[in-house]
Amino acid sequence: MIIRTTKAALASGTILAMAGMASAQTLDVALNSPPAGLDPHLVTAFNSVLIASPNIYEALTGINADLDITPALAESWEISEDGKTYTFKLREGATFHDGSTFDAEDVAASLRRVLSEKIASPLASRISPITDIEVVDPATIRLTLDAPFAPLLASLATVAIVPAEFEDDPDALQKTPVGTGPFAFAEWQPNGYISLTAFDGYYMDGLPKIGEVRFHFVPESATAQAGFLAGDYDLLPGIDPATSLTLSANPNIEIQDTRDLSYTLIGMNASVAPLDNPEVREAVNMLLDRQSIIDAALFGAGVPAGPLSPALTSWAVDTSEYACYTQDVEGAKAKLALSGVTEPLKIRMIVLPRQDARDIAQVAQQQLAAGGIEVELVNQEIGQFVQDWRNSNFDMFVSANGGAIDPDLYFYRTFYGGGSTNVFKYDNPEIDALLDEGRSVTDMEKRQEIYADLQKRLACQGPVAHIAYGDLMTAVGPKVEGFVINPLGRLNNLSEVTLSE
Amino acid sequence: MMSYFRNNRLLAFATALVVFQVALAVFAPVLGLQDPFAQVIVQRMKGPNALNWLGTDQLGRDVLARIIHGYRTSLLTCLTAVLLALLVGGSIGILAAYYRGWFDRIVMRLMDVIFAFPILLLAIAVIAILGANSFSAALAIAVVYTPIFARLLRGPALVICESEYVEGARAIGASDLRIMVSHVLPNLASIVLVQTSLLLSAAILVEASLSFLGLGAQPPTPSLGLMLSEGRNFLLLAPSPAIFAGLAILFLSFGFNLLGDALRDSLDPRLKAAT
Amino acid sequence: MRAKFFLGRLADLAFVLIGVSFLVFLMIRLVPGDAVTIMLGANTEITPERVAELRARLGLDQSLLVQYWLWLTGALQGDLGTSVWTGRAVTEEIGAALWPTLELTFLSLLVGAGLSIPLGAFMAQARGNWTEVGVRVGAIAGLTIPSFWLGIVSILLVSKLLPGTSVLGYVPFTEDPLDNLRRMVLPVFALSLPILANLSRLVRSAMLDAMGQDYVRTARAKGAGRRRVVYKHALRNALIPFITSVGVSMGYLLGGAIVVEQVFAIPGLGRLVLGAISERNYPLVQATILVMTASFVLVNFAVDMLYAVIDPRVRRR
Repeated sequence: MIIRTTKAALASGTILAMAGMASAQTLDVALNSPPAGLDPHLVTAFNSVLIASPNIYEALTGINADLDITPALAESWEISEDGKTYTFKLREGATFHDGSTFDAEDVAASLRRVLSEKIASPLASRISPITDIEVVDPATIRLTLDAPFAPLLASLATVAIVPAEFEDDPDALQKTPVGTGPFAFAEWQPNGYISLTAFDGYYMDGLPKIGEVRFHFVPESATAQAGFLAGDYDLLPGIDPATSLTLSANPNIEIQDTRDLSYTLIGMNASVAPLDNPEVREAVNMLLDRQSIIDAALFGAGVPAGPLSPALTSWAVDTSEYACYTQDVEGAKAKLALSGVTEPLKIRMIVLPRQDARDIAQVAQQQLAAGGIEVELVNQEIGQFVQDWRNSNFDMFVSANGGAIDPDLYFYRTFYGGGSTNVFKYDNPEIDALLDEGRSVTDMEKRQEIYADLQKRLACQGPVAHIAYGDLMTAVGPKVEGFVINPLGRLNNLSEVTLSE
Repeated sequence: MMSYFRNNRLLAFATALVVFQVALAVFAPVLGLQDPFAQVIVQRMKGPNALNWLGTDQLGRDVLARIIHGYRTSLLTCLTAVLLALLVGGSIGILAAYYRGWFDRIVMRLMDVIFAFPILLLAIAVIAILGANSFSAALAIAVVYTPIFARLLRGPALVICESEYVEGARAIGASDLRIMVSHVLPNLASIVLVQTSLLLSAAILVEASLSFLGLGAQPPTPSLGLMLSEGRNFLLLAPSPAIFAGLAILFLSFGFNLLGDALRDSLDPRLKAAT
Repeated sequence: MRAKFFLGRLADLAFVLIGVSFLVFLMIRLVPGDAVTIMLGANTEITPERVAELRARLGLDQSLLVQYWLWLTGALQGDLGTSVWTGRAVTEEIGAALWPTLELTFLSLLVGAGLSIPLGAFMAQARGNWTEVGVRVGAIAGLTIPSFWLGIVSILLVSKLLPGTSVLGYVPFTEDPLDNLRRMVLPVFALSLPILANLSRLVRSAMLDAMGQDYVRTARAKGAGRRRVVYKHALRNALIPFITSVGVSMGYLLGGAIVVEQVFAIPGLGRLVLGAISERNYPLVQATILVMTASFVLVNFAVDMLYAVIDPRVRRR
């Protein structure tokens, strides 16, 4: 009972790949849970993205390991003087896994698919400033915006291009994805594995170098570790610090790490007492000792977090500039006393069901208790957590968020009054004005100034106490050669990986 | 005769094992243990040593202290669950046996519906609805065990209800409630005692599985299943929390099962041949 | 009489299945959060209109009764629906998950029941006070050892003592029979231990009982092979409790050994339903639990029927 794709072209591609250019070697990757479908415009969950992008699907632009925007399906682009028109020159000779040729119509259809109300893609807001999509010729597409939108190129890197025929189809891609990437979808054994095979029509000569990638679903970390040590799996992406410590004892195993763009945070509800008071939120920051949280919950693998990751070298302000990041229990108590809240403060904190989040919550609970803040931990199942999060049904929460390479992509939706993920109900007109300015100005220096100002305003009194940027770690088995970790956590260069033996 | 003494010794041993563990749970706060909540990061994930006899967990908390406090959580949850199930399920079983007819048929079919549901899934569903904590876990286990008690007690109750002295009580005009409480119930005492002990043993395992899946007591509460669950994430690095928490679950469940088994032999030797 | 008994049990069975389906239907919807919430996850930016559109696409905007009616009429016609996000038929997903569970169930019962007869017989031979106590304590320990803990400890032992051995995960039997069986060793061990403990105790007491019977003594005195007489009598004696016990174990195992499947990464029914619950994949949850309870109920039904054949007195109860 194996679910196989029915596309004839795909099947023949598989056979050719096995027989021809790429070797028949299989790279085995272990992931903790299966994806909730593989439609790149519908499912934004981490494991879906990890499997599908950019292995199956590619976008107009890409993001390399240094977090620079690179060409992908677009070879080059021009931006008009006023910042409102983008003209992309597309790659010629790329084909989809179903055999059809990639051209500007596919790009237009994919963007329309994301924007369409009927498909209801959650990615829409990332490209919502686009007002007009014009196919100039099969290799050229022009996008017109209603206002300058500095992060557009970074946003487009997250919008996969699919064949035009799927524009109005909300279902098909979920189970049988079709893209232009180096690997084509082959089979999906529920709870077992997803297999991708080398796409022989890939436009880069000689790639991919291996014949198959299998993503195995192994729910228990100890099981994945044991299987990895036994050679069942070649790659464990995104492992936690405890796993890394366990595996690093073995000399044959390489642990690659990089500073993660994603971060752990304590969110605070700015619409209910007592955390509606910015002074109280600052006191919370003063009570936290981020370094000891990192030592305890992340086994030291991380750095204290400000609003932006230090990996974003051209944007991030150093955390030493935030006064509230120095733990000061007496100062915090004094601040709480002055702010007129009645002690002890009772706070309900919901916790994302992840070991690091739980450990962070347990350590933070003790640190906040020192300042007279009594935290009740509510560890939730994921559905309950997401629901309470979306409905702002919390005083505080501990969670982890993925990062973005442009500050606007994170700040605007999070801190703008009424922003789509502003579940804190934070509303500060000064911040809103700065955010509006930040996304419309295209001058880099001016933007840097604006975002530095925003970081300083948000760090201590904002609705989010940023906790840590962890180390993103991937365990690489002894057979694997040529793998390079990517700070976004994706498996960006599997096509270049080879296996020894 | 020999067998009688042997069984008595076994019963004494089982009782001692249970009493010892219950006593640990009850007197945990005054045993001079370390603070089960105190995090000493530099001492984290140590194996057994002079300071922490059973080692420490991922936040440097003392495993021994957390296990003994964990007994409290497990026992409280499971006792609540089993007693609740006994109360509800037992009443249903006796009522069904006493009134029989349509009432019996409908109620017992409803019990069958719950009984046919996979145990762990039923518990997971109940907990998912109520939110994960010890009380939900207790309630979930109670729901799972209600049909078991109902089915267990209905059979023997049927026999008693048909007996001559119940008929006699009816003849002299005793009320239904009075008959059930003062005639039927006392005759079920031994089976209730045995089954409660056996089901407690099983409940401890179910509670541990639920906590293992993250559905029982929540951190930082010390709980045996939760320790096993958290410990498994660090298994190859620091096995002691997972190993010792598992052993504690085994001892607790074992004690109650042995007690039930020995009680059954002592209270009703006729049952012995069947087991 | 026999037909009436059979039909009565069949009606009960149908009632139980419908009851379970309704219970599952209600319960899974009472759990906070739905498939759309889960798919979007935390920190995804989306407008409420789009969320509503996604819900409507899954039929979640209809009233509960309408949803149940649609599901029930579909199910009675053999259509159990499609998995919400992947759009595959749930029967297809269940079919795929069924094989590992069936294999696990079959092997665990085979090992547990198969070993229980010689072990029980051996335990019956070895008499004496301390042996007796040892047997009892051992059997109860076997029953109360948490199987998931056993699983974890065996993973720990294997990776410390035999590093480099592939014993975890699942490889289909059709792909590589040897590899498949090798990876079944640990989970089967964890699952068959309580079965073995329970059954060997049954066999043992039946044996002891048989040895004490007058006619066995007589048969022996007449020169019949002692062993043969004892075995024959004891096994007949133990048959009913033995079958019941096997039936109950089978019912539970077919319900998916959730935690053991989780620990050993086996893609069986237990993990399927656990994943479906956490994804709020309603059609998949409903269908999987229906299949599980149906097999549980059917196995019990079969056991009851077997009793009626073996021991006609049962029918009168």
